[in-house]
Amino acid sequence: MVREREEWGLLMAATERPEGRGLGDRLYDGIFHNRVWRSIFRSGYPNTPRNQMLAVATNVFLHLHPTRIHRTHVKITHTFCLGGLSFFLFLGLTITGVLLMFYYVPSVDRAYQDILALDTDVRFGQLMRNIHRWMAHGMVLTVLMHMMRVFYTGAYKPPREFNWVVGVVLLVLTLLLSFTGYLLPWDQLAIWAITVGTNMVGSAPILGEPNRFILVGGFQVGQAALIRFYTLHVIGLPLLAAVFMTVHFWRIRRDGGLARPL
Amino acid sequence: MAVATPAAQAQPASQAVRGRQRRQREEELLVWPDLVFVEFISAVVFTITFTILAYMVDALLLDRADPAVTPNPSKAPWYFLNLQELLLHMHPALAGVIVPTVALIALGAIPYFDTDNEGQGEWLSTARAWPITAVGAVVGAAGTTLLILYDAGKHVQVYEMIANGTWSPDPDAPGFVGWPSWLGWATNLRAIQNDISWPEELTRVPLGSKVLRTDLLGLPAIDLDVNLPAVLVEQIIPVTMMIGLPLLLSFVAARVGLARTKRDHMILQFSGFIATFLTLTIIGTYFRGAGLELVPYTIFVGDH
Repeated sequence: MVREREEWGLLMAATERPEGRGLGDRLYDGIFHNRVWRSIFRSGYPNTPRNQMLAVATNVFLHLHPTRIHRTHVKITHTFCLGGLSFFLFLGLTITGVLLMFYYVPSVDRAYQDILALDTDVRFGQLMRNIHRWMAHGMVLTVLMHMMRVFYTGAYKPPREFNWVVGVVLLVLTLLLSFTGYLLPWDQLAIWAITVGTNMVGSAPILGEPNRFILVGGFQVGQAALIRFYTLHVIGLPLLAAVFMTVHFWRIRRDGGLARPL
Repeated sequence: MAVATPAAQAQPASQAVRGRQRRQREEELLVWPDLVFVEFISAVVFTITFTILAYMVDALLLDRADPAVTPNPSKAPWYFLNLQELLLHMHPALAGVIVPTVALIALGAIPYFDTDNEGQGEWLSTARAWPITAVGAVVGAAGTTLLILYDAGKHVQVYEMIANGTWSPDPDAPGFVGWPSWLGWATNLRAIQNDISWPEELTRVPLGSKVLRTDLLGLPAIDLDVNLPAVLVEQIIPVTMMIGLPLLLSFVAARVGLARTKRDHMILQFSGFIATFLTLTIIGTYFRGAGLELVPYTIFVGDH
């Protein structure tokens, strides 16, 4: 059984490459045509068109892509990678955010001290916090610019209307993620920015003040607001954003990939 | 242009299917390696960029939060400063909630208005798209700036400078020429309420006891006296401006032949919106100092 599969693998490689086997090929077979490698990656190393398509189609992460793509969509100036960068920043923020959570307790007595300790006592703590902060600002910018790119390339037109709406929801979630994170350092910048921001919510007719009260958990920004914003920031909003991102990416594929001129 | 008939609505999907069928293979590349590697390289480049940025510039941390000490000015995060800027010029409910809600709904509704298939898949590919973008952006940015300057009474300062022939006119100096008093209502938006002697009845319109007679329904009476001049300044004029000026822009652009299709008007309005959004954000961030006065400001100066 094992032997059969190994032979099958060798056979595939030999039939797909018409030239004779050199040192590189033998090295290649030694690395990629063994039981362990094949248990992880079912197709061979993607060096033939067939395997390159298999690599994309059979990999859970890569299969968000189609296997083929129109020539113009690879040009950097067509998209400036803005949607992909927004997703990349989301991933970077998740990783640095998890590391920051190790050192941060969302309590008004400790939060500020924890940030100070993070900046001074924790190895690479300041760097982690800086990366998280700049990536957060960066993500707001890339999401806004992505929206502009999609608009000016007319990529929201049928059949992509709904994905544009999902994108608008993701824009709102990005702003809310950034806004909830803004309070966590518990410094003067944080508490007053959130006070100003939540007061805007409170100014809505009829439902404004009750909503502001629920959001802040009291009459002023304090412990209740901190724990609410923290919970929303580290789990509630990221989960929601992940759900909408899944739909967003899925719909790109379902709607026929990136928009093309007719 | 698509007409809103069932047949026309069914058209886009079938076109997409046909488009897929006549897709030419030689026009296509394989995602591995041509796309996957581009993505990988940009991820690496951006990781390095952000690490270097984070190494060089520290995130801001001010003093510990103190509810008793209000900084002057207190500002929202930068991406909400556009709304905070609006707050200075109109009713808080309008600036803080209604305008952003309506703006987001309008943004989401764009594809349901602009259903033509023309101009997709390429940057600004319809005829006149670039000039329309430029006009929308310039009008949005300049219009917003002018309105803000007006509400800050800057035109009064400019008038006094020109009338007195000096950069810093002294109001106490003999022969000082000031803003004409009969134009007092035009010094800023609020002056329409404060500088005009409105009849007493208009400032206390008893809606609660005369119109909305909830007591007749057996409900508690509403104590609602409406100050009409305040409503005019805080709500009616701003709403008229925010709806009227974009409509006027589209109207003029249509008359001079700049904007002809739905996509043209979409580009015009979207560009105007983005320019307005950016102008409000920039002014809210860099030109609102203590007391939210219109002066140059940066948070990195001084107090921490």
